[in-house]
Amino acid sequence: MTAGDRGVVALVVALTFLWLPSSIASAFAPAAEGVIITSPEGTTTLSLDDEGTYRVEGRSGIVTVRVAGEKAWVVEAPCPDGLCQRSGAARAGRPVICSPNGVSVEVQPGGGGDVLDAVSR
Amino acid sequence: MRYRADTRATVHTAMLLAMAAVIGYLEIVLLPPFSVPGFKLGLANIAVIIALANVGLARAAIVSLGRVFIVALAAGTLGGPAFVLSLAGACASLALMAVLRRSPAFSVIGWAVAGAAAHNLTQLVAACLLVGTFAPIDLAPLALAMSLPSGLAIGYSARLLISRVPRVSLSAAGR
Repeated sequence: MTAGDRGVVALVVALTFLWLPSSIASAFAPAAEGVIITSPEGTTTLSLDDEGTYRVEGRSGIVTVRVAGEKAWVVEAPCPDGLCQRSGAARAGRPVICSPNGVSVEVQPGGGGDVLDAVSR
Repeated sequence: MRYRADTRATVHTAMLLAMAAVIGYLEIVLLPPFSVPGFKLGLANIAVIIALANVGLARAAIVSLGRVFIVALAAGTLGGPAFVLSLAGACASLALMAVLRRSPAFSVIGWAVAGAAAHNLTQLVAACLLVGTFAPIDLAPLALAMSLPSGLAIGYSARLLISRVPRVSLSAAGR
């Protein structure tokens, strides 16, 4: 490994740690309040209290999103690898994305919305 | 002599393209998807790095982009979002590796790590464009963290193979 290689590795590690605080802050964020479902047809914002099954039109077909027990996850999607279905429930900082259908399920953290404030306190 | 060297380089490139395509397809079929959209181990990039080191940038581009097309054709995703993600990642990875290749300060290990990071980040940006939201960018720390071990593994594997494979002599026309 040359000095340049070590520099590249250090840069990748540094970038990872630069981005990490937002993910850590999301993990310690107050309980989620809302769910944002983005699809080619538009954006739908729901409260986690709005339990139910929601069907959104993706590029390849219908993507089914379930909201229950203060969680949101993709139940069914017409995509080749089913990654979105295997990703589990969406969390703050860890959205569930169905790239082939252009659908994403994000969870909005509660407590005022600005997650970074929880880190700087 | 010039024609023999060009033929040898062409055959070398074709073999690397076949290797990359087979490895890339097997990765899709045999390995489960990771939680980052489009992320794979990227073992097929071993062939791309060998091509970059042994037969030059133009032929490495043929191996890299040709592999994306062939694997997408075999997997039935040609023209779809997965294909777009792969193509974007492959272009960015190859561009960055080509830049690092110009400097003697970097070895194939540095190329591989930088290429893996560029590949993953570019796929996340492409996913943002496909989905129409910045949500995929939240996965950047995970993508970067995953690119480090995969890049190192690919870099060391490529270095080992390069040391075993005779370097192809290119004529001035073939470079």
